[in-house]
Amino acid sequence: MVHLLNSKTFLKAILPLLLLGVLFFVYYVFNPSQSSFFLPCPLKYTTDLYCAGCGSQRAIHHLMHFEIFAAFRYNPILILSIPLLIYALIVEYLNFAFGTKHRVKLFYSNVFIVVYFGIAIVYSVLRNIPEEPFKYLAPLN
Amino acid sequence: MENQPSTPPDNNLVWAILCTVLCCLPLGIVAIIKSSNVNTYWAQGNYEAAQKAADDAKKYSIWGAAIALIGIVLYVLFVIILGVGGAFAEF
Repeated sequence: MVHLLNSKTFLKAILPLLLLGVLFFVYYVFNPSQSSFFLPCPLKYTTDLYCAGCGSQRAIHHLMHFEIFAAFRYNPILILSIPLLIYALIVEYLNFAFGTKHRVKLFYSNVFIVVYFGIAIVYSVLRNIPEEPFKYLAPLN
Repeated sequence: MENQPSTPPDNNLVWAILCTVLCCLPLGIVAIIKSSNVNTYWAQGNYEAAQKAADDAKKYSIWGAAIALIGIVLYVLFVIILGVGGAFAEF
């Protein structure tokens, strides 16, 4: 705990938490569907195509209000990734703030990388097909 | 192997994933490739190359984030200018 008295260490420990707090606040209070100041996806804006990330901001908003189904409807891949992302971000945070060298085992398997991003690419293609089963992969309008 | 470090360099894959599910930036894809190179080189025992790929992965993630940040700032300025312009147009 003596380390925390060192101002640089203290800043490194506190800044990511502050930033996260601000993001939580913004995404909890404002619904991206109803507010105009959220950044639209550049790809959607220029080409009208959905990418793997489209709907993420709205999904996060609904998830924070425990509306799991609505969140899932906007971006299932993000919702399914959240447990892993939270775990990985905690590890990153500890490494950054306290200089530890923890590693997320899964990230050091190239099989995982190929499968995860393979799914993301296939998913990006499928959600642009405006037909029956696939259109449910696109975010709600 | 002599001098085998016990942990691989951080491959920063979490940022590549965040790039993919949040903003789909092209630099995210480069970061993914670099991240997987870290693993490949590490498995081959080429620790120097693994470290270099890790540094690259980090560099691309930072660039990706910087571009996203610049985009957000430009967008906010754009919205403000439109808003101010719109307000004046009503007179």
